[in-house]
Amino acid sequence: MLVLGIETSTPQASVAIGSEQGVVASAMVSRGASYNEFLLPAIRFCLDEAGLGYRNLGGVAVGLGPGLYSGMRVGVATAKALAQALSVPIVGLASLDLVAYEVRYSAKTICAVLDARRNKVFHAFYRSSPGGIQRMTRHAIESPERLSVGIASRPEEVLMVGNGALLYRHIFEEAGSVIEVGSMSHAFPDARALVELAIPRMFREDFDSLFDLQPLYLRRSAKPIEWERIRGSRA
Amino acid sequence: MIDDPSAGSPVATLPSPLARRQPIGEWDEDALVLGIETSCDETSAAVVRGGREILSNVVGSQTSLHGEYGGIVPEVAARAHVEALTPALAEALLQADATFWDLDAVAATRGPGLIGSLLVGIAEAKSIAAVLEVPFVAVNHLEAHLYSNLLADPKARFPALALIISGGHTLLVDAHDHGGYDVLGGTIDDAAGEAFDKVARFLGLDYPGGPEIDRLSLLGNPEAVRFPRAML
Ligand SMILES: [Zn+2]
Repeated sequence: MLVLGIETSTPQASVAIGSEQGVVASAMVSRGASYNEFLLPAIRFCLDEAGLGYRNLGGVAVGLGPGLYSGMRVGVATAKALAQALSVPIVGLASLDLVAYEVRYSAKTICAVLDARRNKVFHAFYRSSPGGIQRMTRHAIESPERLSVGIASRPEEVLMVGNGALLYRHIFEEAGSVIEVGSMSHAFPDARALVELAIPRMFREDFDSLFDLQPLYLRRSAKPIEWERIRGSRA
Repeated sequence: MIDDPSAGSPVATLPSPLARRQPIGEWDEDALVLGIETSCDETSAAVVRGGREILSNVVGSQTSLHGEYGGIVPEVAARAHVEALTPALAEALLQADATFWDLDAVAATRGPGLIGSLLVGIAEAKSIAAVLEVPFVAVNHLEAHLYSNLLADPKARFPALALIISGGHTLLVDAHDHGGYDVLGGTIDDAAGEAFDKVARFLGLDYPGGPEIDRLSLLGNPEAVRFPRAML
C-alpha cells in the first residue's frame, strides 16, 4: 500500500511517499517558498520521480503538530482534501511523536521539544519500546524554564531532541540536569518517519475520521478582542 | 509503535473514482464547477453548472463561535474552516448528485479576506484540482460578488453598472465585459458593512450587528431624521 505523508507543522516542510517496503520518494525544504507553494509541486515531484499518479495512493498521512498554526492548517487541509477526493483513509500523527521516533534506539528517556515561539516550547516525554517508542506524557506547551525544572527533577539522563532543544539548550543545561541534546538532523519532524509510522496503522485500519481530524493546537485561539475596553474608552 | 491514546474511528468510504467526464481545457454549457469560499466567517461550497445554474450551495456560518468576542477572531475563523469544509464539500456534491470525478474545474476565493481562512480554502481547492487533473481557478472576492448577479438574475449580462456593498467594501463598478472592470467610485473611509457593525457595537447590540440593526429599523420612525437626497 502506497501512503503519501505530509508534514508542514514546523519551519521544515516535507512530503514522502512510501509503502511497507520503504520510502520511494521524498522532498524537503526548510526555507524559502511558503508551504502553500511548496506542497503540491513537491507531491507532484515525488509522484513523477517514483513513476506514480495520485490514483496509486492507498492512504494519506499528515503531521498534526503541535507547531506553527498556518503550517499545520495548510498541511491538514491539503491532506484532508486529497483523502476526500481520492476516497482513501487518512491517518494523523503528532509531530512531537515523529521527532522522538527518530531517536528511538536510545536507552535514555527521550524528551521531544519543538519551538512554539513567544518563549514557549511544545514537548512530551517518551521511552523506547520494542519496534518504536512509547509516549509517557501528554503533549504540552510550557516555557523552557519550566520544562528545565521538570527535567532537573528527573533522576535519569534525558535525551532532548527537536529544534526547541537546540534553541533553549543553555537553559536546560543551566538547570544542572544531565542531558544530551540531539543533533540538527533530528531537529524537525520528517514526512519519511510519518509514512513509516502511518503504514502499520493503515494495515490495522486504525484510521482517523476525515470529518473530525484537526491540527493539535494545544493553545486556545487568539485572545478575544476587548470590546468592553474600547467601548469604555470612548465614553 | 507509538502508543497513541487518541485512536480514531474508521473513515467513511465514498464511491470509487470514475473516469473524468471530459479532457482539460474543453468548456461547455454543462461544465460543473466546484466553488469554495472561506474568506471570512462562513464556510461555503457550491456546485454550479455552466456558470449559471446552482446545483447546490452549502453555507456553514460561524456566527455562534464569534458572538462571545463581539467580532470575528481570525484564528477562530481559520480553525473553524478546517473543521467545516470537509462536510461542506461532501454535502455540496451530494445535493448536486455529483462526485468529485464529475467536476470540470475547482474554484476558490483568492482574496481579499482573512489570510488564515483563505489559505484553508485555497489549499483544499488546489489539492482537489490536482487529484482530478482539472483547472484550479483563483477568484477575486469582489469579482465573485459582482458575478453573483448572473446567478440571481438569468437576464443579467454585460455591460453592467455594479454596486458592491459588503462587510469590507463599498464600490461602484463599470463592468463592461467578462473580466473587464473600471472602479468608478467607492467609500473614502469605512465600508457600509463595517459602519453597521461598528455602530451596533457602540449601541451594545448583539453580534453580528447588521441583521440586528435591520430588525430594529423596522420598529423605527422613518420620518424621524431628514436625510439630504443626492442629485445625480
Ligand atoms: Zn463578501
